[in-house]
Amino acid sequence: MSSGLGRIRPLFTLYMPLAPFVLFALFPLYFMVVTSFKTNAELYDVNAVPFWIKRGVTFGHYQLLSQDTLFWSWFVNSLLVSVAATIISVVIGILAAYPLARLRFPGGDSFGVAIFITYLVPPSLLFLPLTTVVNRLGLSDSLWSLVVTYPTFLVPFCTWLLLGYFRTVPKEIEECAMLDGCNRLQTLLRILLPVAVPGVICAALFAFTLSWNEFLYALVFVSPAELKTMTVGVYSELIRGDIYYWGGLMAGACIGSLPIVIAYVFFLDYYVSGLTAGAVK
Amino acid sequence: MSQVSRRQFLRTTAAGAAGAVALGRAPAHAQARELTFLSVASFVPDTDKELKRQFEEWGAKNKVKVRLDIIAHLQLQTKKAAEVQARSGHDLTALGPGLGDADLYFDYLADLNDVATDVAPKNGGWLNPDDYLIRGKWKLLPWWMPPFPMAVRTDLLEKLGEKNPDTWEDWLRIGKKGKAMGHPFGTAMGHSADANVTLLSILWSYGGTYIAKDGKTITLNSKETRAALDFVKRLYTEAMDPEVLAWDDASNNRCLNAGKCIGIHNPISAYESAKRDKVLVPGTQREISEVIDHIHTPRGPVARKATTGYWCVGVWNFSKNVDLAKDFLRYHFQPDNLGKWVEAGRGFNMPFLANLTKHAVYKSDKQYRFIPEVAKVSVPPSWPGPTTAASQQVLDLYIIPDMFAQHATGKMTADQAIAWAEKELQEIYAGRKRKP
Repeated sequence: MSSGLGRIRPLFTLYMPLAPFVLFALFPLYFMVVTSFKTNAELYDVNAVPFWIKRGVTFGHYQLLSQDTLFWSWFVNSLLVSVAATIISVVIGILAAYPLARLRFPGGDSFGVAIFITYLVPPSLLFLPLTTVVNRLGLSDSLWSLVVTYPTFLVPFCTWLLLGYFRTVPKEIEECAMLDGCNRLQTLLRILLPVAVPGVICAALFAFTLSWNEFLYALVFVSPAELKTMTVGVYSELIRGDIYYWGGLMAGACIGSLPIVIAYVFFLDYYVSGLTAGAVK
Repeated sequence: MSQVSRRQFLRTTAAGAAGAVALGRAPAHAQARELTFLSVASFVPDTDKELKRQFEEWGAKNKVKVRLDIIAHLQLQTKKAAEVQARSGHDLTALGPGLGDADLYFDYLADLNDVATDVAPKNGGWLNPDDYLIRGKWKLLPWWMPPFPMAVRTDLLEKLGEKNPDTWEDWLRIGKKGKAMGHPFGTAMGHSADANVTLLSILWSYGGTYIAKDGKTITLNSKETRAALDFVKRLYTEAMDPEVLAWDDASNNRCLNAGKCIGIHNPISAYESAKRDKVLVPGTQREISEVIDHIHTPRGPVARKATTGYWCVGVWNFSKNVDLAKDFLRYHFQPDNLGKWVEAGRGFNMPFLANLTKHAVYKSDKQYRFIPEVAKVSVPPSWPGPTTAASQQVLDLYIIPDMFAQHATGKMTADQAIAWAEKELQEIYAGRKRKP
């Protein structure tokens, strides 16, 4: 009797209370998927139930993306830029966060706050001066312009996140390593980083997501159709005057969300522990 | 192995970066003769394809590498601002919607007086050349406009026993009856280009204006404006659904194609997309495009007037290829080329040139028959004042739609709404005085 109750208890205490939240979180994704498989005629039908497909599934929107646009080039561009910007930003973030977390020097704390404030400056203010910089460097209309400019908002973010994480790692284990002969760099690489993997992965995931979703710099710095990233390309091609290709837009959003979903599924545990580091000491 | 000190590394890196910045020019491979054009995505993709074909054809003839970049029209402001800031970017650029961009970017646009003079006689002349001058100069070439007829459901009109609606009052009556049977009239009243177009059209049709011909005197406070405000309030409360306050430019298309709206004030885009997508009248197997018709933009008690998006093309004066850009414009504006381009756009993109308003495409489908008529009564959004950066700001800040919406929803009396809008207009025009 008690074992039967024990089995169904989580249903009432865990799954049922969680269900509304899960539904709420997944609804946009579900709506996106359903819309991407509906015919245009059904999308216009006011009598159709918007939550499921009544008049048959169509792959036309995915065909439109693949055959009539450069969608897969945009996908690859997004991937290249996001991976490169993430690697650069996380490496710089580690190198910046370590001294701020471990070394004592005048103005160290203010420097940490300054980095955070830099992150708060919105790209909508920065894109105009950055356009001049990108042009002076001769990088406009190339993916390099994005690889170079994305770290302007990723590095402060990664630094701030890693700074917090590094501070949760006991200093004593590094001091032991130093007593055994490690220098600062070796301590960072061999002692701190292996312990801080969840934090690094968390920073990398966030950096990748921010790069993947970025719109403004990608719009301003890159014009040729074949070099656009996915966010800009889909928007440019599928919003034509007062006609929105909703099915195509949703299909693009579905495919575009896959890399992020996959990344989070693989690294979810690291991500959670990276975020919650320092919550309990 | 020689060791590099931290200080040496920093010095070398800084010197390298400074060198790259000081060099300040594109790599050698980018220095070949290349002409670039930034344009906006047309709702008829064939228009962009035809433009690309002509651009490439011109490039091949002149041994110039060409690149046409297409972006959504909503992105154009950001892109232009960045290019002007960097004094670098495309050679040719689309400008609009509205002519005000040319005043805003007056100092950065090349004079096109010579091109405008060359292309006009071959195409029967500009429709209203004085409207297109910015501070007395051709800083842009007016390129195309999508005239705003009234798109109407003929089957529903028949059900209501209505024929040939021609005035805004007719549309109020029809909208009222239509709303009672679940088919309201629809026009955007929020922050969208369509709201600017339709509500300015109504204001003028009732005899109101917001700026005088001198471009300085605010003329909004008049009994004609009050009449227009009262009409729109009745239209909103009796003939439309409140959702129109939140509509964007695509919403009225959706409302018509979904079989809900009895009529919308819009270019032919809704009809074209309904035809392409084979959308059905709800509950039937009949295609909705078969029961849509386009008729003249409505007349008011004083006039029949409308406006639309005035899409233009300009050449940045910081471009290294100003002459090449002008040469391409002359090529594109040749009657044959422009004709092919209009045909590709199925008349959606009507040039501001007399002969093109008589293009055969407007006789190819009865849906297009009123488009040349609407074009004749279309004026720039700043009418009767000149186009300035201030008039553009009036559009961009949606002052006119906000005035109408605040009265229509009962938040303000007509006098309060006019006083509010008048104050906004005075501030805009005071802050945007034209340079001497």
